[in-house]
Amino acid sequence: MTLIQANGARSVASAELLVRCVDVTHSYGTGETAVVAVAGVTCDVAANARIALMGPSGSGKSTLLHVMAGLESATSGGVSWPSFGSSPAGKPGEVGVVFQGPSLIPSLDVVGNVGFPLLVQGVSDDEAEKRALDALDDLGLGWMSTKLPDELSGGQAQRVAVARVLAAAPRLIIADEPTGQLDHETGRHVLDVLFRAADRLSAALVVSTHDPEIAGRFPERWLMHDGALLPKEGLSS
Amino acid sequence: MIALWMRGLVLRRTAGLAAIAVGVAIAVAVLASLGSFLSSAQSSMTARAAAGVAVDWQVQVAKGADPAAVQATTAAAADVTTALPVGFAQSSGLVATSGGTTQTTGPAVVLGIPDGYAAAFPGEIRLLAGSLNGVLIAQQTAANLHVLPGDSVTITLADGSPVAVTIVGVVDIPQANSLFQTVGAPAQSQPSAPPDNVLLLPQGNFAAVASGLGTIHPELLSTQIHVAHSHALAADPAVAFVDITSAAHNLEAALTGTGVVGDNLGAALDAARGDSSYATVLFLFLGLPGAVLAGILTFAIANSGAERRRREQALLRTRGASAQLIGRLVSVEALLVGVVGGVIGLAAAALIGIVTFGSVGFGASALSATLWPIGAVLVGLLIAVGAVVIPAVHDFRTLIVSEARTQLVAQKKPWWMRIWLDVLLLVLSGIVFLLTTQKGYSLVLAPEGVASIQVNYWAFFGPALFWVGGGMLVWRIYEAVLRRGRRGVAGLIRPITGKLSVAASGMMSRQRSVLASGGVMLALALVFAGSTSIFNATYQQQAEVDARLTNGADIAVTEPPGSGVLPTAAAAIAAVPGVRAVEPLQHRFAYVGSDLQDLFGVRASTITQATLLQDAYFQGGTAPQLMTTLGSQPDAILVSAETVSDFQLKVGDLINLRLQDASTNSLVTVPFHYVGVANEFPTAPKDSFFIANASYVAQMTGDNSVSSFLVDTGGQSTDSVATALRTTLGQGPTITAIGAARSAIGSSLTSVDLAGLTRVELGFALVIAAGAGGLLFVLGLAERRRTFAIATVLGANRRQLRGLVLAEAAIVAIGGTLFGAALGWLLSQMLVAVLSGVFDPPPAALALPWPYLIGAGVVAIGAIVAGAIWSARSAHRPAIETLREL
Repeated sequence: MTLIQANGARSVASAELLVRCVDVTHSYGTGETAVVAVAGVTCDVAANARIALMGPSGSGKSTLLHVMAGLESATSGGVSWPSFGSSPAGKPGEVGVVFQGPSLIPSLDVVGNVGFPLLVQGVSDDEAEKRALDALDDLGLGWMSTKLPDELSGGQAQRVAVARVLAAAPRLIIADEPTGQLDHETGRHVLDVLFRAADRLSAALVVSTHDPEIAGRFPERWLMHDGALLPKEGLSS
Repeated sequence: MIALWMRGLVLRRTAGLAAIAVGVAIAVAVLASLGSFLSSAQSSMTARAAAGVAVDWQVQVAKGADPAAVQATTAAAADVTTALPVGFAQSSGLVATSGGTTQTTGPAVVLGIPDGYAAAFPGEIRLLAGSLNGVLIAQQTAANLHVLPGDSVTITLADGSPVAVTIVGVVDIPQANSLFQTVGAPAQSQPSAPPDNVLLLPQGNFAAVASGLGTIHPELLSTQIHVAHSHALAADPAVAFVDITSAAHNLEAALTGTGVVGDNLGAALDAARGDSSYATVLFLFLGLPGAVLAGILTFAIANSGAERRRREQALLRTRGASAQLIGRLVSVEALLVGVVGGVIGLAAAALIGIVTFGSVGFGASALSATLWPIGAVLVGLLIAVGAVVIPAVHDFRTLIVSEARTQLVAQKKPWWMRIWLDVLLLVLSGIVFLLTTQKGYSLVLAPEGVASIQVNYWAFFGPALFWVGGGMLVWRIYEAVLRRGRRGVAGLIRPITGKLSVAASGMMSRQRSVLASGGVMLALALVFAGSTSIFNATYQQQAEVDARLTNGADIAVTEPPGSGVLPTAAAAIAAVPGVRAVEPLQHRFAYVGSDLQDLFGVRASTITQATLLQDAYFQGGTAPQLMTTLGSQPDAILVSAETVSDFQLKVGDLINLRLQDASTNSLVTVPFHYVGVANEFPTAPKDSFFIANASYVAQMTGDNSVSSFLVDTGGQSTDSVATALRTTLGQGPTITAIGAARSAIGSSLTSVDLAGLTRVELGFALVIAAGAGGLLFVLGLAERRRTFAIATVLGANRRQLRGLVLAEAAIVAIGGTLFGAALGWLLSQMLVAVLSGVFDPPPAALALPWPYLIGAGVVAIGAIVAGAIWSARSAHRPAIETLREL
């Protein structure tokens, strides 16, 4: 359960906490040319949460998601991952990220891409391949396992990226505008796959989007503007 | 638009453009440097050819003409520095009495030489014993007549009247072929050999012969004017040949029928001209792979940026750019890199020319000095167009925009792989090689006595096809291994990549064309470096062997004929500091049937202490085997192949030779048994000779005297040891160090010092090998930075990323080095076999310059590792930044 405070901050009971951001600010550059992407955000992500992070382009959604995933550090404020102990960056078993743009390794086929995070973690070749194929089958993508990324459409590539997250079985799935470059129909399919993956893993799902229709499918919606989380969405259900 | 585009290219893609320009510059520099080298080589060939001619022109005075007038006209001709008359008289024979016996020769030629002749034409007469001031006798004639300085010889004229003279010196006539030529006669009408018996008289003595002969048989008398011409000739032997031939024709015209010019200098330059053409092809052949490799490297560099170019092109097309506009943009890009590369290449070549060859120009003649640089720059521009324009046009015609924006275009097998062109080329290479090596080459002697080379230019196609086919085969092997042998590759790279080995082998499989091009480039660069260095080392080795054969050893101490020096005199030589070993050598003349041949008496068990005997010198056994046989069988004898053929000899056959007995001065029959064939032997002539045991010869002839001593100094300080020997031994013996022989052997081609070319070619080979391994790798990986960024956000750590890069480096380095070594070794064998005519004698084995070969491998692998490490470090940039830019 997420509690939205008067200043827009969201918090949950610490036992369920995956991510806690306290007054997090992230700036690009320094001095007069510094651009503040995230400004004093305080929020919590609980296990099993389904959160849509909304906001216009440049509002700081991607940066906040990267900070949550540990891919970027906060310039000020504090980020913690109570359930993980330390930053989950580079730990596909804790946080899985689906990027907005193409994020498959071009020189690996689909099953190779899906199994790659497992191999990085030291899983054996055979086990990684098995889990990758399972993940693809789970999402109905088994038929494309031997294809190269360049042979896939944008929607197919995004679904493979989701399968890659699923194979690694993280507790938190973060997707940065996964449907941003896709048409509505394809975007809907990708979102279906994301929900299915999160359900299967009992993982929290945080998806950034500027599409209200997509956001409408999430029980919890955060609105971001000029780097800050706004309180106007009120209490989530 | 074009200016804007160019500005963007120069500012944003500086490294990529610079890399392509450097590739073009290397190709231009290789070609232009070859021009510089040929310029200096041709110049040295001209100088060498001219220096080797003892008498530049022999003007035959026509019957009835006034020799003095002909001499005056000749002396007045342009650039003639000396013109001296030489009389020729035919005699019925020579007679000498010594030791109570009388020897008589067949017909002899008597020359009348003026005072100062020997000084004016120092290459014509070489004093062996006595003095030059008086009657001289040729070495072989002296042996036939058993005379020494101080002895009397009677010349028998055609009417039987005798003219007695006293010998003061024994001489050698090194260029007897030229001296006794029939002036003005075609090559096929020239005498097959110079006369056996020759006497050289001062003008006073000759006048007596001429007056006795002139009244009865004037047809047996003739006069030649021997001419020394200025050797300030054009650098290009072809131009010098035309100049000197024109001058000879001009003189003949001035003589108005009173004389015919025998143009020895022209003949020498003609041979040098042929050698020069051959040298041009040979050195182009040796150097061209460097230019081709530089071209391939440029293509590969340009190709490593192909994905980016396709994306840019796709963007331009989606913004409405026409085919013409895109064509103009890439053409200007090609022109920019071509011109910049060309200018850098020419500047580098000029610098190399000055530093290495001492030659500023790019050719020996004005025409070649113009054509070489223009040709080199044109080739550079062609490479730039081929690398930049053609792929862009091809993409424009064949790819739709969405395909052009993809990262990895589906890889199809190249057309040449589908038709097995590589195997076809290798088979063709083998066929050409077999056909051409069966014909072979030989050093042939022109009638004027000028060594030149016969060439079959088709033979070059064998190694050329092998080089191309071998490179393609390496590509095929890379392609097959990376595509089908992923599990094997994974096993191979597991120590580097650990758990990621299967993924890494999969990545490599998809990147196989990039890796194959890197491996092939490395292999071919190493082949170029290896084969060039091995060829050059073998060339130097054989030049050294030739010098050693000519001189006999590091130092040769040649005793004057008849000096009677005994083998025990070796002790005095051995006592000189720096001398490691001394070996006495007998030299006799022996009759086999009616043929007179040289016979060398050796100490078979110890001769190799002072000189080098290669297996290639002999047939019927190795050098040690035949020396052992000779040593164990006193009457054993080694015979030339020609003699074996003439007399149908089989091993063990009896050969009776007639040798001079010391006590009676008459010829005695000495039995020998034939045990093997000697093709070459230190100090021996190139035609026919015998090798026998010195002790047996001494026993059978009662003469234990030594003709020369072979002195080994271990190759150290030969000149200073020779000087010390001269001081110790006095004026009697002639002492020659091997250095003198090095500069006086073979054809004009072998006068070309390959050291400069070797340094330049090897330098380029190293640059290309390093470029192939490193630059290509760096550029290729820079394009794939995206992969590492994704891998990083998926959890790959630095060690794993470094493993991925080093695994690719290992595949390129190991494969390229192994294939390069194998192909280089095979190509070297092929080159040396095909170009065996260049080597005299043919090499027994290839000379392997190990320090250089190892150095080349280390540099190439070092460049790859450096490139890989740089590439791995570049992947450490925050991954999220890279991903954000995608």
